[in-house]
Amino acid sequence: MRRSLSAALAAGALAALTLSACVPSTPEAGGGGDAERLTIATTTDVVNFNPLVGNSRTDSWVTNLMYPHLTQIDAEGQRIPYLATEWGYNEDGTEATVTIRDDMTWTDGEPVTADDVVFTINAVAEEQFGVVAGLITALESAEAVSDTEVRFNLSRPDGTFLDSVGFWMPIVPEHVFSQAESVQEFANDSDWVSAGPYVLTEADRGQRYVMERVENFPLAPEGTPAVDEVVFQIYPDVNTEVLALRNGEVDVIGNVLPPSTAVSLQDAEGIELAQVPSLGWAHLQYNMEREPLDDVRVRRALAHSVDYEAIREVALQGFAESTGGSTLTPTLTEWYDDSIQEYPYDPAEARRLLEEAGVTDLSLDMIYDQADANISRWAPLVRDSAAEAGITINLQGLERNTYISHADERDFDIYAGSWAVMDNPPANFALAFGTDGFINYANVSDPELDALIQEANEALTVEEALEPTQEAARIIHDQVYDNVLYVETFNIAYSSDWTGFQPVPSELLGIVHPLSLSQVRPAG
Amino acid sequence: MIAGLRFIGLRVLRGLLTIWFAVTVTFFLLRLLPGDPVLAVADPTMTEALRQKLLADFGLDQPLSVQYVGYLGQLLQGNMGVSFRQSLPVTEVLMQRLPWTLILTGAAILVTVVLGVPLGVYAATRAKGFADRAIQIGGITAQSLFVPSVGILLLYVFGVVFGWFPIGGAVDPDATGFAATLSMLHHLVLPCLSLVFIQLGSYVLAMRSSLIEVLGEDYVALAKAKGVSPRAVVWKHALRNALLPTTTLVGLQLGTLVGGAVLTETIYAYPGIGRAVYESVGQLDFPVLQGAFVLLAVAVVVANLITDIVYGLLDPRVRTS
Repeated sequence: MRRSLSAALAAGALAALTLSACVPSTPEAGGGGDAERLTIATTTDVVNFNPLVGNSRTDSWVTNLMYPHLTQIDAEGQRIPYLATEWGYNEDGTEATVTIRDDMTWTDGEPVTADDVVFTINAVAEEQFGVVAGLITALESAEAVSDTEVRFNLSRPDGTFLDSVGFWMPIVPEHVFSQAESVQEFANDSDWVSAGPYVLTEADRGQRYVMERVENFPLAPEGTPAVDEVVFQIYPDVNTEVLALRNGEVDVIGNVLPPSTAVSLQDAEGIELAQVPSLGWAHLQYNMEREPLDDVRVRRALAHSVDYEAIREVALQGFAESTGGSTLTPTLTEWYDDSIQEYPYDPAEARRLLEEAGVTDLSLDMIYDQADANISRWAPLVRDSAAEAGITINLQGLERNTYISHADERDFDIYAGSWAVMDNPPANFALAFGTDGFINYANVSDPELDALIQEANEALTVEEALEPTQEAARIIHDQVYDNVLYVETFNIAYSSDWTGFQPVPSELLGIVHPLSLSQVRPAG
Repeated sequence: MIAGLRFIGLRVLRGLLTIWFAVTVTFFLLRLLPGDPVLAVADPTMTEALRQKLLADFGLDQPLSVQYVGYLGQLLQGNMGVSFRQSLPVTEVLMQRLPWTLILTGAAILVTVVLGVPLGVYAATRAKGFADRAIQIGGITAQSLFVPSVGILLLYVFGVVFGWFPIGGAVDPDATGFAATLSMLHHLVLPCLSLVFIQLGSYVLAMRSSLIEVLGEDYVALAKAKGVSPRAVVWKHALRNALLPTTTLVGLQLGTLVGGAVLTETIYAYPGIGRAVYESVGQLDFPVLQGAFVLLAVAVVVANLITDIVYGLLDPRVRTS
């Protein structure tokens, strides 16, 4: 008995030792800059493999590499060809036509044709789901005129249609997705058939996603990407991602770095930072259905009570650009209007305006997402600079879902937040500042503005849309319908073993998008 | 025999009631959360019509009572519903995660018992000595620690400073065969130790006090009088009886362990149920959350049931009480 008990204890101790001993490490994923594998760190899983449904960051990165869009954007945010080579409207704007490439194929050998485009948009229109459904309200019908030509018939002139559909709608293979009873409910979680530069071959939830390059991707300089395999590896948070990059476990951190982390990596050996501007902006919105915020003098007083420079230089550590207070940001160069000037930080002027409006002891609640590291850093600055002007701002850092629901119900005095992707000003203005716009958080209702926004939406070219859009932006600034603080400069870290990334605006695309990853190659 | 069956029957009934209670509380708590699952998937371009459609798709347009009855009905048929976000059956989502949580918690229990019992015995046989005091202080301290603090500390020291262990994940997916097993153990060490750390104290202290008590019993004195060696007295005569309370502890501690696993898996990006819960909270994915809580509740109830029954078999007094 004694011997058997000792033996059992010894066995137990051995098991414990096995668990706690430092087991020799097996070959780690990634690192090294060889052309075999590029490892990208991310903090979230792919939630949904259906590109028309999924909307987490990792969902977009993975599915963007698989399903082509009609257009993509360049470093200036302008549309450039992807699947589509040409696009345009007829004279009265009721027909939009797109010509697509004839040399792209799905990974099972089937050609990518106009029928796939028609199938995709019809599925979204019929089942009404995902990002795209809200963008195609003008669509009446879609038809394939030939294998390479698609015609969209529109119920009204809509100059934002092609820009929006081109940017947001992934094209899915009809012969695969049509097998599902409902395209929306199709999980698409195995046997992937795609046409982008990489195809998903392995998905280990909670761990990693392995994608292999395709032999035929005509947009890559060599006709096929230079790297054999792209792997998305899951890490708990940005800090561990940075450690993994330093250790050489990963080659790219997909998530943008918080400003303080970016500063600490600026001079790190073997690490490069790609900088891309946001397509959105950070802002304060004042609820105009609440007194005295319906008075423009009060809103201007609030605009004069924000120390914009301090927010950009201190909270964002300089990784932020002023838009001049305009909702047309320098990121979209073709729309930008540099004649709009930021309200100077001037507490005395703020006090004067409040006095003129007859408002004393102004006390307001400001909601923000407490998990947003940037906003959590600048919210106290907004409060403190407002205090200089005699305005009391009560900070309400909320849990994310609570915050979203407050914003949705317009239950706040001041809303502090940021838009992630505002890719098309006329369309975005309609949503954010048009009466009844879905994200018109400030409750703006201005007939003159509505008319300008409508004019801009009906214009069929940027040249035609520019004047009404810039005029609308001027009104938004003048009336403080939105108080724009900055456009963030995102830092994306990667190993200097690699070169050839193509940075484009927004954290959604950054350097992890089809054009970039079909060109990246080992350095030297 | 009949008393035995009655005992088991009553315990099973109590277990079922506990599960029903857990299901009900989870169901209503989730719906009390501020925030709206539709908005969690929404983006700025969503129209009002689209939003209504999503609500209907999720079944959230129905009155709460209808949703609740529907959910219970579904559960009884073994159907946990479909994830709001993944378009996959919840059972499938959870089954991908379950093995990892079982490995993690199983290893943690194993290591805790294997280390805890000898340490407790060691302390008990040297009661009031220096080693005993040190073990007691250590045990109480470890018990009072918060899992994430331990997790982050271990991660920092052994993962970052020394670089001995990976900083996240469960296995190197490129490894195959024996290398894969090694890689799995390698990834398991830090999360497992974090859990062992917070649990070990309870086991050591329970083992110590019950052994001290047993060592004072008459039959132990008799064994000593018979000239049995001190070692044999402890390991052969006293330990068996002293182990009973420790057995119960496994069941009792399982709840703590499961809670700890959620936090540990989150810190180490360990792909288990805990990490799935953490992710689903942010996405307000009610079906996955409900499913995960049902699964965890069932696990805790079943473990307690087994402990109760085993204890009843070991100690007949429990059956009749």
